[in-house]
Amino acid sequence: MLSDLWSDLRYRWRALFERRELERDLEDELRFHLEREAEKYRGQGLSPDEAMRRARLAFGGVDRAKESSRDGRGTRLFDGFVQDVRYAWRSLGRTPAFTIGVILTLGLGIGANAAMFGIVDRLLFRTPPYLAQPDQVHRLYLSRMDRGTRRSESTTEYTRYLDLRRNTTAFSDLAAYSTRPLAVGFGTDAREMNVETVSAQLFDFFDAPPVLGRYFTPAEDSVPVGAMVAVLGYGYWQTQYGGRTDVLGQPIKVGIAEYRIIGVTPRDFIGISEEGPPAVFVPITAYAGTFRGGSAQTNYYTRYNWSWLRIVARRKPGVTLAQADADLTRAYQLSWANEESIGSRITPASIAMPQGLAGPIQAERGPNQHQVTRVASWVSAVTAIVLLIACANVANLLLARAIRRRREIAVRLALGVSRGRLAVQLLTECLMLAGCGAVVGLAVAQWGGAVLRKLFISDPVAQGSVFDVRTLIFALVIAALAGTMTGLVPILQSRRTNLIDALKSGVREGVYRRSRTRSALLLFQAALSVVLLVGAALFVQSLRNVQSLRLGYDVDPILYVSPNMRGVKLSDVEQANLRRRLGEVARQIPGVESAALGLTVPFWDSWGEDLFVQGIDSVQRLGDFTLQGADADHLRTVGTRLDRGRDIAATDQAGAPPVVLVSESMAKKLWPGQDALGQCLRMSVDTTPCITVVGITEDMKQNSITDDAGLHYYLPIEQFHPEAAVLFVRVKGHAADLQETVRRQLQPLMPGDGYITVTPMRDIVDPNLSSWQLGASMFAAFGGLALVLAAIGLYSVLAYDVAQRTQEIGIRLALGARLTDLFGLIIREGMKVALAGVVIGAGIALVAGRWIQPLLFGQSPRDPMIYLVVSSILLVVAGFACAMPAFRATRVDPNVALRAE
Amino acid sequence: MTDERLELPQGTLDLLILKVLSLGPQHGWAISERLHQVSRATLQIPQGSLYPALHRLERRGWIEATWDASDNNRRAKYYDLTRSGRRQLKAETDDWRRLTVAVDTVLGMS
Repeated sequence: MLSDLWSDLRYRWRALFERRELERDLEDELRFHLEREAEKYRGQGLSPDEAMRRARLAFGGVDRAKESSRDGRGTRLFDGFVQDVRYAWRSLGRTPAFTIGVILTLGLGIGANAAMFGIVDRLLFRTPPYLAQPDQVHRLYLSRMDRGTRRSESTTEYTRYLDLRRNTTAFSDLAAYSTRPLAVGFGTDAREMNVETVSAQLFDFFDAPPVLGRYFTPAEDSVPVGAMVAVLGYGYWQTQYGGRTDVLGQPIKVGIAEYRIIGVTPRDFIGISEEGPPAVFVPITAYAGTFRGGSAQTNYYTRYNWSWLRIVARRKPGVTLAQADADLTRAYQLSWANEESIGSRITPASIAMPQGLAGPIQAERGPNQHQVTRVASWVSAVTAIVLLIACANVANLLLARAIRRRREIAVRLALGVSRGRLAVQLLTECLMLAGCGAVVGLAVAQWGGAVLRKLFISDPVAQGSVFDVRTLIFALVIAALAGTMTGLVPILQSRRTNLIDALKSGVREGVYRRSRTRSALLLFQAALSVVLLVGAALFVQSLRNVQSLRLGYDVDPILYVSPNMRGVKLSDVEQANLRRRLGEVARQIPGVESAALGLTVPFWDSWGEDLFVQGIDSVQRLGDFTLQGADADHLRTVGTRLDRGRDIAATDQAGAPPVVLVSESMAKKLWPGQDALGQCLRMSVDTTPCITVVGITEDMKQNSITDDAGLHYYLPIEQFHPEAAVLFVRVKGHAADLQETVRRQLQPLMPGDGYITVTPMRDIVDPNLSSWQLGASMFAAFGGLALVLAAIGLYSVLAYDVAQRTQEIGIRLALGARLTDLFGLIIREGMKVALAGVVIGAGIALVAGRWIQPLLFGQSPRDPMIYLVVSSILLVVAGFACAMPAFRATRVDPNVALRAE
Repeated sequence: MTDERLELPQGTLDLLILKVLSLGPQHGWAISERLHQVSRATLQIPQGSLYPALHRLERRGWIEATWDASDNNRRAKYYDLTRSGRRQLKAETDDWRRLTVAVDTVLGMS
């Protein structure tokens, strides 16, 4: 009945929180009873003492009555738990060195795992905030066959987006978006920020009503030019406008156009940005229609030559993934046909085989997963291994401790504590250790994780704190697992405790029983350490191979200078003059060795034109040919070697005979077996005049560090778009040192709102090395950690053994054993385990090497040299770990040892 | 003292306590004495088991406890029936009578 339940709960509440009062009540009540009973007997003529004795007899067991009463309180489980915790606390407190050691070991393991989980979670599992039903939302990929391989792209044209909108039926809605770095603000207040250009429909994908104003409607997002309205991001609204509510209706300049603020997004809303929280959201058609200034642009929605945005789509309920893919493919094929029909020269659909894919919303789970993500996944596996090694250490320590406490355990068993209760108590100890380890681990994860996040994840929005719910839960779960695993080992051991033996024996053991469990754990640790170290060595070698690649240009002393007009209108001639002037001024800056004009910068952009060579049907089928604009100083400034022929000269002006420099690989590809010098190249259209090859340069890495075909050519900048030139500056020493100086000197040359961005070449190239750098540093760091843990494990086990066997050693010494024999004895035991571990670990590494192969560069996973080096390192370290206890064994004084117990 | 006392069947101690308390609030010792007297010393009720039973009944909400001054001015814990306790007493008494009648009937078979 309800009232019964209610008073039951009330009683239990009191039992939990007013325990002392209840105890006092109980004490008082029973005492009262005994006194009255004793009074009765005194009334019968007995002495007070005798009366009390009879009263107690009549009562029965007072303590038992108390226990029964306590049992009836309904808090027995909880009481038991509290008791266990208190006991564990006391017993752990008595051995602080052990406790701290275990907590730190577990903390490191748990912390490393929590940190890596946070990273992998953000890369692979998290969905954008506020997204409604994320498993129904897809990032669309369009793929086609390109020279024998299928290439997937998530970036596409607005025209294509309109085609897909029109022709798909499997999706309830589609939206396009693109993140552009644009200058936001008026005049000198302007700063370059992330601006998100989005379809109005994108806001419908989220459960995120605006905190102020409204979002733009599809009517305001229509071709040819959308309405000039803008929605502020929450963060930008707070920092730039102080969160004022009167921002609605105010103008804001984004890029080169002026918009009107109509709303503000909620906190943490980022749309689908991969670059960090956008400052402003504008309609995609408003941006596209005005970004060049002047009259409305129409090409962006009628032609297929500007590929700049991504598409997300929501699958209709009841439509399967396969159906959605098929629908998307059909729509893409229709779009392809449309592209052909308007006259674009593209591969026929029968060869290109266009296909659509509705991929997961997380970019790193799609077909174009970055190498870094794969490395991250491997590194989390590594941290899991490190945790296992740490647990093995802790298990060994707990085993040793359990053996020391054999007597205490035997006594408790004799007193009537059930084995189950004992097991629970031991488990509580381990869970407490693991819990403290988790706390330490979270601290480690917070600090170390911040460092790791900066390395693995480039966008700042993901660099939150570690204290988000998922990571916390993960940390607690693995702490519980670790605690349980390590706790099971001594519990299983204690089941074999023979009561009589344990009670009778002292620490002395007649016959030394080598614990197989401990050896097995050590073996496990050694093997895992070998696996990790082999991985580390493979990555380090790959990194060195990559770093020693000749890029084809210098990196450290080069600055890349890019002028940004920001809407200022200049004629082509004025533009060209401006860029020449920038070059001239740059040359005068102290510390600058030389400056030269160019057109493109490696990795960030590329420019290709249609090429025609006599005797070759289709040049584009032979590969991707990219071009660079160059003046007479270019090759010298960027450090590209000229192999044969001549460099671009000052005489190669507009109107002079067109010339070109080609790379070695391009020369070999287009004119195999012949001398490329003097050959004729035609560009854009078959009928233009010949461009003569006058020089051959070394290959350079334009798009990828590791598999670039190196097909590129240099056109004299004066003969090819000088108005679009950029600047390369070579400095004495490191480019970063002069970055700000160059910017300050060149900025005044820019007219109006225009501005200069100066970037060291190192910042452009390094991100492409990141996956190897990460792999090498992470594997090396964790491999080293694993090795240290394993060495500590080996040392502590041997040291304990020596302590246990003091008597035996004393006997041996008394019987005449030589010190060297003794030393050898101990060392041999340790090294046997280490050697076995090395063999097993090497075996595992050989097998697992296959999976790590794609992440390496120029390095075979079966390189015998690596295995040799790693094995030697492990054996040497193991040797050191064994040496100290062995040494201590030789210092045993037989007199003392024999008499001790 | 002869040990001809009968052990209480399981669960009947609660019924007896409720009945004693239905005659008025008592403290634990008084309940014990009363049971001893009224049953003419036939029932074997270890005094120690009384208190766990009392606390159990208190938890179920059938009796409530207050501290008060006893007849010799010492502090004692007095128990009293609650309303649901009265209902419980009636229900259990009815059950008991029905049980004993049924058992009698079976035993009376020839």
